Amino acid sequence: MSANDPIRAFGLTKRYRDTLALDALDLVVEPGEVYGYLGPNGAGKTTTIRLLLGLHRPTAGRAELFGIDAWRNPARAHRRVAYVAGEPFLWPSLTSEETFHFLARVQGSTDEGYRDLLVERFQLEQRKKIRALSKGNRQKVQLIAAFAGRADLLILDEPTSGLDPLMEMAFRQTVLEAKERGQTIFLSSHILSEVEALCDRVGILRRGRLVDQGTLAELRHLSAQTVEVTFEGNAPTLDGLYGVHVAEAGPNALRIEVSGSIRPLLERLARERVATLTSREPSLEEIFLHHYDDSDGRVPG
Amino acid sequence: MSPASAIARRALGDSRVRNAAFALFFLLYAYAQAVGYRHSYPTLGDRLEFAKTFGANKTVQLFYGVPHELRTVGGYTAWRAGGIGSIVAGVWGLLAAIRATRAEEDAGRQELVLAGAVGRGDAYAASLAAIGGGAAILWAGFFLGLLAGRLDAGGSAYLALATVAPVAVFAGAGLLAAQVAATRRIALELAAGALVLAFLVRVIADLSTGLGWLRWATPLGWSEELRAFAGPRPEVLTLPLVGGALLIAGAGVISARRDVGNGLWSGRDTASPRLRLLSSPTALALRGELGSFAGWLGGTAVYALVIGVLSTSFSASSIPASLRQELEKLGISITTPSGALGVYFLLFVFAISLYACSQVAAARHEEAEQRLETLFASAVGRRRWLAGRLALAAAGAAAIALTVSIVAWAGAASQHAHVSFGRMLEAGANCLPTALLFLGLASLAFGLFPRASAGVSYALVTAAFVWHLVAALLGAPHWLLNVTPFQHVGLLPAQAFRVEAAVVMLAVGAGAAAVGLWAFRRRDLMGA
Repeated sequence: MSANDPIRAFGLTKRYRDTLALDALDLVVEPGEVYGYLGPNGAGKTTTIRLLLGLHRPTAGRAELFGIDAWRNPARAHRRVAYVAGEPFLWPSLTSEETFHFLARVQGSTDEGYRDLLVERFQLEQRKKIRALSKGNRQKVQLIAAFAGRADLLILDEPTSGLDPLMEMAFRQTVLEAKERGQTIFLSSHILSEVEALCDRVGILRRGRLVDQGTLAELRHLSAQTVEVTFEGNAPTLDGLYGVHVAEAGPNALRIEVSGSIRPLLERLARERVATLTSREPSLEEIFLHHYDDSDGRVPG
Repeated sequence: MSPASAIARRALGDSRVRNAAFALFFLLYAYAQAVGYRHSYPTLGDRLEFAKTFGANKTVQLFYGVPHELRTVGGYTAWRAGGIGSIVAGVWGLLAAIRATRAEEDAGRQELVLAGAVGRGDAYAASLAAIGGGAAILWAGFFLGLLAGRLDAGGSAYLALATVAPVAVFAGAGLLAAQVAATRRIALELAAGALVLAFLVRVIADLSTGLGWLRWATPLGWSEELRAFAGPRPEVLTLPLVGGALLIAGAGVISARRDVGNGLWSGRDTASPRLRLLSSPTALALRGELGSFAGWLGGTAVYALVIGVLSTSFSASSIPASLRQELEKLGISITTPSGALGVYFLLFVFAISLYACSQVAAARHEEAEQRLETLFASAVGRRRWLAGRLALAAAGAAAIALTVSIVAWAGAASQHAHVSFGRMLEAGANCLPTALLFLGLASLAFGLFPRASAGVSYALVTAAFVWHLVAALLGAPHWLLNVTPFQHVGLLPAQAFRVEAAVVMLAVGAGAAAVGLWAFRRRDLMGA
């Protein structure tokens, strides 16, 4: 951890009257990273972002952007930051082009060539007033303004809500370009495929608490993976193997979930007459659901 | 509960604060007029003298209309309370109509409602029912105020009806404007334009000899022609009823045919870029507020011109010395053009204070629409942003004050009145300490309780002004009279500029603004 990390949060907590919206969040996002911030509706994603930007006041703890306290010194903390809000609220009487012009002045810089390229890529009609644009098109205006600013840190709150699949692809391309250029991206989302495709690290938020965090590989490692085995005879019983759970048993087939190392299972299976064996890593969806499954903490079948 | 009644109840619940505030204003104002007249002019002789001099004065009639009967408390109250009350009722009518219709569409909620098991006609009728319910509350407020002022029940009920009658027409105008304009704001401006026009026609009809018939051309004149407590003519009620019904029906027909969410006239949706006034948030705010500023400037300037032209309508000889003291109890001492201008410039102090509050309300609107999040996520500081808005409001207030003083001077000069130009500029400047005081208080409210801030600051200014007008009549003790800032405003150009009062107001305003800035910096941003 260094003072130049784009985002650092220490025990960041927010309570709205009697609702604890965010509970002691510790978070570090390093330079050049694409960090996926996952959680269902109401988990506290937008609250986190409002605290990171100093728009709401932390009940406890603090947030820093590039080492500058976001609540005490927001204007300075925001100098290298661009933000895309969850809801595209913009100035209805301005056209897109005027909005770009205004936001560029407010943010301090813009790369006009890149902006034109993005306008082309996102197929935006620039002369239309914001009030005449659909939600998806207003979302594009926000995205173009943010990415064209070439900010060192982009904070995106569910940026693809309202975008069609083609525009979703354009968005992914733009994120990857930003990443290549070394920009840091904090991406709040509940679209798992998007996070899986783009993010280096993922944090999973549940009811205001960060319940898991790591690279996708790490998360997979910690979660169960699924092994399906068929046998040339009756399926054996696999009692007493550490971390192994038989999710489904047929006469000569088993579906097994393994948490932790797969070696004990492989050693055991080596003694059986295995016909076929397929293993797959859990998808992010399974990891995600794993964290939200209240029943027994296992990956739902 | 049927869908339509659910809509009506929600709309009525939505407007309960506004309805209660207007009804309370009506109640207090009606009560104060009745009690005040009985107290100040106890005998028939007093009242005859009052009618001959003061009641016949054009400048007074400008605001209250033409009196028909000044020998009785009821007749006086019908003139003073009914004249102003009908204008206030008109304002309420258009606000209520636009709030119940266009504001809902503008916010996108109407789509949701109309996607339910309710037809457009029923939804429209439900909005009408909510407006009707609100009008009944207004009527009750006025009626109770008159009863409390010991006027007879039948006459009071009729006067309250005459005063509230313009609601039908102006709610109709508001509903029509809501069909034409695509946004709440433009609808409000259109409907307010209609009200200003109706008022100007009444002014011309009341003040010009031989043009009295013009009163029949304005809904505000109809309220006068209903002649409560002065030979009532209830048949005149058909005019507002039929006029209102036509407007309401016309708006209903349009509402059934047009696209939900759009207006008949929706302006252009595409435009070539205009890059002026985009360089900073304050510049953008100026860009957004220019239209509304022009409206305030135009409206106040027309008033200033009329007041200037009429400032010579009093002559010192027409008012006996014995009466002058009594008039002063009512807050009036108009014997010279300067005196008339001094009395009526207090109205500009009030109007410019309201303008200051409207600017803070516009800032709050930006926050409620969540546009500030985008702004404050960039390198814009909150205090700098709010300070920019306040500076803009102060500059706008100063521009309006300067304009009204010059225009009023020109109006007076056109009648060869001896009013010094320099003194008139001073009278304009005299509006500013009070306006800046309320600007500071409005920003304090914005910093501390943003959601209620606009309503609170408008209510504060209005209450302070109304209290100034009625407190003495209610026999309030001296210290209670002095709580309103308007009590401490010198009536320029007739009186001297009150330096101490101005300094205190500016200091309190600046302190309140500073605390407001501090509080805004420290609180969460809040959506609508």
